[in-house]
Amino acid sequence: MGIEIKLVFDLLAFMSVMVLIVLGLGIIASMMGIFNFAHGEFVLLGAYTVYIFESSGLSAWAGILAAPLVLALIGLVLERLVIRRFYASPIIAMLGTYAVGLVIREIVRGLLGGHYKSISEPLPGAFTVFGVDFSIWRTVIVVVTACVIAGTWLFLARTSVGLQVRGSLENPNLARACGISTSRLYAFTFAFGAALAGLAGALIVPLYQLSADIGTRFLVQAFLSVMLGGVGTFEGPVLGAAVVGGMAAGLPWLVIPVLADPLVFIIALVIVKFRPQGFITQGRL
Amino acid sequence: MLTKEASGLVVAAERVPERRATRPRALRRVLPYVEGATLVVALIVPAVLSERTDLITLATNVLILSLLAISFDLCWGLSGIMSFGQALFFGVAGYAIALVGRDLEFSELWGTLPLAMLVGLLLAGLFAAFLLLGRKPPTTIFVALGTLTGAYAAERLVSGWQYVGAGNGLSSVKLLKLGSYEFVEGTAFYFLALALLILIYAGARFLKQSQLGLVLAGMRQNEERLAFFGYRVQLFKAVVFSLAGLVAGLGGALYSYHQGFIGPGNMGPGLSTTAVLYSLLGGSGTLIGPIFGAITVEVLSYVLSDIDAIKPIWPVILGLVPLGVVMFQPKGILGLFVSDRERIGSYGRRRRDG
Repeated sequence: MGIEIKLVFDLLAFMSVMVLIVLGLGIIASMMGIFNFAHGEFVLLGAYTVYIFESSGLSAWAGILAAPLVLALIGLVLERLVIRRFYASPIIAMLGTYAVGLVIREIVRGLLGGHYKSISEPLPGAFTVFGVDFSIWRTVIVVVTACVIAGTWLFLARTSVGLQVRGSLENPNLARACGISTSRLYAFTFAFGAALAGLAGALIVPLYQLSADIGTRFLVQAFLSVMLGGVGTFEGPVLGAAVVGGMAAGLPWLVIPVLADPLVFIIALVIVKFRPQGFITQGRL
Repeated sequence: MLTKEASGLVVAAERVPERRATRPRALRRVLPYVEGATLVVALIVPAVLSERTDLITLATNVLILSLLAISFDLCWGLSGIMSFGQALFFGVAGYAIALVGRDLEFSELWGTLPLAMLVGLLLAGLFAAFLLLGRKPPTTIFVALGTLTGAYAAERLVSGWQYVGAGNGLSSVKLLKLGSYEFVEGTAFYFLALALLILIYAGARFLKQSQLGLVLAGMRQNEERLAFFGYRVQLFKAVVFSLAGLVAGLGGALYSYHQGFIGPGNMGPGLSTTAVLYSLLGGSGTLIGPIFGAITVEVLSYVLSDIDAIKPIWPVILGLVPLGVVMFQPKGILGLFVSDRERIGSYGRRRRDG
């Protein structure tokens, strides 16, 4: 009994990590049609912000709060300087954002000096329910992820800005004709996506050691999640991330780990091949 | 943007013959001279560098990576397939011949190089069948992410697989042999690589200027229209993608023999994106451009990474260069001195009267 609950909890925790990472990527891909290859590096920068705060003697909590703000700012600047040139051509956007990501990653690698840094969990330890230990920090991640999903959904579905965002997604020309500044909206969306990545990085860094490659390991999985769920929806990427995260955490229990890793990619790719529109097609964002 | 702009120009060049008449300079072709000059330089290089074995090794390496660059250019520059996984075919072929050398003790040139090409061709064919063919035409994004995923998955698989050396890769690959002659690093290997590169280049050039090349040019411009004409667009793409896999496979085998080593890093997204960089920096779609890109990147890497002040920031520069290229000079180096019309190529017999 205990081991099953533990397994379910582990799956849930990893799914939350994936969803947190994918959410920002999915929103940018859906809204702007840009597959942001620098997303992994945004996650890395979020993690790095926490590291800076902690190593300068401030509280890690302050770092976790600051990371989304820092990343929103960086995202805004990048969008204004670089990303907006690529709206017309999604393929070139991939190359451009890949280059941006490479630059960020190598700068951080230089700053870290190629070392691995471990960040301690702000809430260490575990609590016990029905004789099963649950890591507190993983529980925090699960809860925060649920809050972020709910918050983002409320924002997109219930606020006037969210309405403008959905309008611009459906028909940018008509939105512009209605007096909505899509250019400003895109800048805002990109910053929002970057902020979510920053939050994800800040929250997951205690689970993984901080290294320059912390973001890249999730990037391909995150892309597949977005494709799997369906570009242009809010629920799609969340669902896709849950599936990919569940597979990535669950498959090593079923097959040998060496095969499990590539198998996740193959299964996801095959599903996308035969259902290119994604899981969710109704009720576009 | 690149394809749209490029393909628009094919039409533009054909629709305005009077402009050609008023500007006869536009008829002068630069590309053959560039190609000829590159060939001459490539032939002279070993004589000049014969004292420095390390530089000969570098030059051979550049030739081998040029094969990878051409392979990517066949995909992106000629048929508009964005492949983020070209190194997959390079790496798998490299592993294949390394294993043949280790387990079968066989490394004859006439056997292993065709084998590597076959491996590349078949693997790329399988990928093309999965990614490109099917009832619904795939989106470009799907193909790009599919190739990326393939390369990434293969890298992860290989780096955990003990039989192929796991993360350490396969080292001390058996030397390439022809009869009793063994190709070690040096001038002989250089000329072997050069000869193969010239063959592949000539083949790719023929492909580009053939009627198939014309169909590909039309596809880059408007895939739907070509489909309405009755061309099975995805099939053409799949054929070119498979051929590109063949070229990458040959490159991978040579790389493996030349370095005496092949590792997971040689088949992952890292090397794949380097191939993209070669092509974009040099000027995609021109075939000679990507070779220029490979030369520039590899030579600069070699020179600059020796200077201590630049060494730590060199990877950052390697990121800034493609960013600058896609933002400000999407035509690449070659776009600076080759006209758009020539860069894209022209088909059919040239009319003297204009």
